[in-house]
Amino acid sequence: MSVDAAVPGAAPARTAEPDLETYLGDPHDPANPVGYPAVLAADERGELLAEGERALDGYGLNAEFVPRALGGRFDRADRLAQVMRAVFRRDTTLGVGYGVTTFIAATPVWTSGTAQQRRWMADLLLRHGKASAGYNELAHGTDFGRARLRARPAGDHFVVTGRKEMVGNLGRADAVTLFARTDDRPGSRSHSHLLLDMAALPAEHLRRLRRHRTAGVRGVLLGGLEFTDCPVPADAAVGDLGAAMETVLRAFQVTRGVLPGMAVGIVDTQLRTVLRFALDRRLYGLPVAELPHARTTLVDGFLDLLISDCLATVVARALHLLPEQTSVYSAAVKYLVPKLLQEAAHRLSVVLGARSYLRDGPYGIFQKNLRDLLAATLTHASAAVCQATIIPQLPRLAQQGWRSSPPPPPALFRLTGPLPPLDFGALGLSARGVDSLTATLRGYLAEPGADPVVGRLCRLFTAELDRLAEICADLPPRDRTVIAGRRSFELTDRYATVLAAASCLGVWRHNQDDPFLRDTPWLLAALSRLAGRLGVDPGAAPDGLERHLFVELLTRHQDNRGFDLVNRHLAG
Amino acid sequence: MSGTIQDTSVDAIRSWLVGRIAFYLQRPAEEIDADAPLVEIGLDSVYAMTLSGDVEERFDIEVEPTMAWDHPTVNALAGYLHGVLGSRG
Amino acid sequence: MRYPAFALAEHLDHGLGDPHDPGRAASFARCVALDAREEFPAQICAELDRLGLPRWYVPAEYGGELRSYEELLHAVRILARRDLTVAIGHGKTYLGAVSAWVGATPEQARRVGAEVLAGSVISLALTEREHGSDLLAGEVSAVPTGAGYRIDGEKWLINNASRGDLVCVLARTEPAGGTRGFSLLLVDKRRLAPGTFRCLPKERTHGVRGADISGIAFTGAEVPAEALLGKAGAGPEIVLKSVQLTRTMCAAMSLGLADQALRLVLDFATGHRLYDRALVDLPHAHRTLTEAYVDLLIGEATSVLTARGIHATPGELSVTSAVAKYLVPTMMDRTIPRLGQVLGARALLTADHADGLFQKIERDHRIVGIFDGNTLVNLNTLVNQFPGLVRGYRRGVVDPGLADTVELARPLPDFDRSRLALLSRSGCSVVQQLPAAVAEVRELVDAGIAPSALAAQAETLAGLVDGLHERMAAYRPQPRQVPAEAFGMAGEYALAFAAAACLQLWLRNRHWLADGPTAPLWADARWLRACLHRLIGQLRPATATGPGPDDGADYDRLLPDLRAQHREGRLFSLLPARLAEAGRPASEPAARPAGAATQPSEVLR
Repeated sequence: MSVDAAVPGAAPARTAEPDLETYLGDPHDPANPVGYPAVLAADERGELLAEGERALDGYGLNAEFVPRALGGRFDRADRLAQVMRAVFRRDTTLGVGYGVTTFIAATPVWTSGTAQQRRWMADLLLRHGKASAGYNELAHGTDFGRARLRARPAGDHFVVTGRKEMVGNLGRADAVTLFARTDDRPGSRSHSHLLLDMAALPAEHLRRLRRHRTAGVRGVLLGGLEFTDCPVPADAAVGDLGAAMETVLRAFQVTRGVLPGMAVGIVDTQLRTVLRFALDRRLYGLPVAELPHARTTLVDGFLDLLISDCLATVVARALHLLPEQTSVYSAAVKYLVPKLLQEAAHRLSVVLGARSYLRDGPYGIFQKNLRDLLAATLTHASAAVCQATIIPQLPRLAQQGWRSSPPPPPALFRLTGPLPPLDFGALGLSARGVDSLTATLRGYLAEPGADPVVGRLCRLFTAELDRLAEICADLPPRDRTVIAGRRSFELTDRYATVLAAASCLGVWRHNQDDPFLRDTPWLLAALSRLAGRLGVDPGAAPDGLERHLFVELLTRHQDNRGFDLVNRHLAG
Repeated sequence: MSGTIQDTSVDAIRSWLVGRIAFYLQRPAEEIDADAPLVEIGLDSVYAMTLSGDVEERFDIEVEPTMAWDHPTVNALAGYLHGVLGSRG
Repeated sequence: MRYPAFALAEHLDHGLGDPHDPGRAASFARCVALDAREEFPAQICAELDRLGLPRWYVPAEYGGELRSYEELLHAVRILARRDLTVAIGHGKTYLGAVSAWVGATPEQARRVGAEVLAGSVISLALTEREHGSDLLAGEVSAVPTGAGYRIDGEKWLINNASRGDLVCVLARTEPAGGTRGFSLLLVDKRRLAPGTFRCLPKERTHGVRGADISGIAFTGAEVPAEALLGKAGAGPEIVLKSVQLTRTMCAAMSLGLADQALRLVLDFATGHRLYDRALVDLPHAHRTLTEAYVDLLIGEATSVLTARGIHATPGELSVTSAVAKYLVPTMMDRTIPRLGQVLGARALLTADHADGLFQKIERDHRIVGIFDGNTLVNLNTLVNQFPGLVRGYRRGVVDPGLADTVELARPLPDFDRSRLALLSRSGCSVVQQLPAAVAEVRELVDAGIAPSALAAQAETLAGLVDGLHERMAAYRPQPRQVPAEAFGMAGEYALAFAAAACLQLWLRNRHWLADGPTAPLWADARWLRACLHRLIGQLRPATATGPGPDDGADYDRLLPDLRAQHREGRLFSLLPARLAEAGRPASEPAARPAGAATQPSEVLR
């Protein structure tokens, strides 16, 4: 299914459409119903901020998840992540509990639903309805293939029996995308999606299960439903019977490919909070920001954020441009970016010190974000699940992809450039050993007039890729599967790091009209940081590199601009 | 192992598949029951996709990554592949 | 074989009862519920009073039972394993009183001892709202009045400031401040004139939500002259020496919390199935578990040697306590979330999985790295001593007390406060003994007694530690603008200490521990090999070697030991200790009916 015609022109059409960041207003304003004070208070109550839900209804956030062809605003995966950053910057709980949950539920319908089902889901979302993704069963968790909730075909309907638990908004959704077993045989053709219109289901066959409460994203309503011989119309099936696993493998490339880009907004706030503290607070006679360790930590946090955004943005764009390869990339980004962001937040907490532990006061949002970030990391595919998705593909990538894949089109990196529509059907279940993104590194080295310093750093990553190829081509059988040993998991970490390096390089190379991105220092620092992550010595940093980036960070802070690639003005 | 096609008889394909699955499961080939569902002998869905990759490399053809989901035993796979390779000419 | 330093810990744990028994005041379920309600665990603290714990806060010479800091270490560890809020809320009295043990006159110290033994809560008030760890910027003043002092100003983020009966306050006694411009005053809140002080509201915190973390504001509070602890102007010196004792105890909190985190994840991984296998049998998951186990063993070796050093090598505590306080909490700040990955979303549940305990541990633990001298303060303490550490290493200085420090079966000398020093004159003997220890390992390998892999590890370690000292030697001290690389080297030094501690602990105790429940861990040096593997991996400078062969066999070998300790309800430890859920230890006199007055002193004899 094709979503829309190519988006014409340059930047996302911000002028024509409401701007969520502006709409949500200054987060520090105590009178702002969706500012930090209100957000923190709702978190304390364990509630999803009601004013926030109303505000997002008012903006029509759901339209961001609905393809443009169906009357929504979804036409670019990278833009979706950027728009959602405005929410995640303020309240991860709303981002997850209002946004992501619905997005995950709707995507399988866009991927495999009939025209009628897509229309129905789109209409529901456009009138601010809620959709819930009914996958999780406590006993099986991420091991979908073992899901037990049963939908038995019975003439013109299904009879559904079983339970789903710990699912966002399941207790209050208007629509549920239900992952159900339609065949008792084990295997990957035994599950189907049913699209449930909750208002039309007979209440006596449904029991709402109790809410599960969590330490992070505390306001998200994780509910459960128990179905007992519940009749569901036959036309609720999304796609063919038995095709759910395949739909999941496609649809989740989109959701996993976009979520990490949203989470960048959380760490923008963490970095901003700690920078504010470092400028305000004096220790040993100096502002904390003047202490070398604090400054290094802040600059490293900035770099981690830029690196994360490069990988997230490039993978989101790859969903449009290289859909046959994104089974690997979407898993890599969902693995690496939350990890980088979490490590950055932890290091920043050391600078914030005791303030990182207080739930009140001017830095109270920090501790909430620490909890929320952890939750965002663990939900919708944990690190291990993502890595286990990559592992079986490593040997084939090693045999050919890392040596001879064609380089990607420059459009993959041109942030303001147009994108073809996202074709859900074109998303490949396996990359078939092709990896264009890392080919960017070799491509650059082959360019005449390549910057020698950049080139030297690039060679560290191509050399790493050669080493990875050597190891991955000879992986023992067990280590190519989900029961692989630690070494295979470490290989995916190193590979994801190379993907991040290639993304940074490409973003730098192909955005020479951007006054910040065309500058080489950030790229050198980012590549050095990624090399350090691999245990490779990047060599001495050029003099003044850290100072340069610290000035950039300070300037953005003073101008109230985002720390990400978009570098836009923020509300407030 | 890519490129050239050798014997594409059902028997040859079957014994190659058995060898491949035995390799993944680290078990002797004699223990692989060609009529048992792959999931039941320990090849789950992701694993089965890896097998599709092996097939593409071995026979220089494109198959659906979900091939082993739809042909969930060694014999079913061998029959399917024989058909595909045969029709290719 | 018996390890007597666990006796107090076992006495307390068994006295509080099986934490899985919801009927117990100190059950996990109840501790989580108290945390959710932000309620101070008063009943559990009262139980600890009943079990006699305050006596171990008071040195024997001042009327109490505190003879061994090794014993106190394990007591704090076992309490933190159950509930950090309890460990802090109760243990804070030790922190409040320690300045008296370190700096007061004997008569004063006996008076403070009597207060503690009578059950008074004593709090320590160092930090202020605007100055945090920069104690010499403190603004709270104490002006001599003739009859005593008049105190003004506010102390903030103070544990038990509100609940405390007495507060040990660091106050500016010279307007100009400076290292001799501050004094410690033991303020008896019960005797202050009404209206001259005000307790600040409890701060709401990320973890340890039931703790009384508040503050106290003085407005012309008059205290008598005898409130002064030690000499006027001695405040900073007493504080710097006191924290050498308390920081060591903080490491124990991390050990306790990580122990329970690992226990929870093992409970789950043993029962839960994924891909048709028990989770614990998935290689990636079980490696996470054994790595956490190794982290715990490293943390234990580091903490135990530091605690024994309080008695045997007190002159080096400025180094070793900073190492322990930095390394163990920092390590567990990484280990605990990694364990959470195995639990997946269950790690977030506040009530539904295993009482919602995991998320509480994760939140609670973060405070250990923050309070009582944060990460940067401790690393800075090490950076400041680089010259002395390099000198000591080059000369191979080894304090004669090292033998008592590392050999667990040796009785410890009494703690002698006069031997505490702000800077170590002898460097750090544990690290400085490393070359000799490596040579000894080589001999054992040559004699066929130790596995040859150990010799290779020891040599690698020695090379890394040599290189580290060379880099430390090249560092030029910069008092304020300490560069990030210096902090990096200090962090490496802490790892080097841990590795040296492991090596010597094994060398000096392997005979003694060759039987008993933890014997398999010791028999083929398997715990040591895994610990060295992990520490060398973290010490190795950036190289282009890439991922080498998967030499994780060192970890895998520990899985049976880990699972046995889990199954048998033992502490995850190199040494045998039975937890309350395993039933009462058969041989311990601590096994008295609940409620009966215990004679804790007998427990230890």
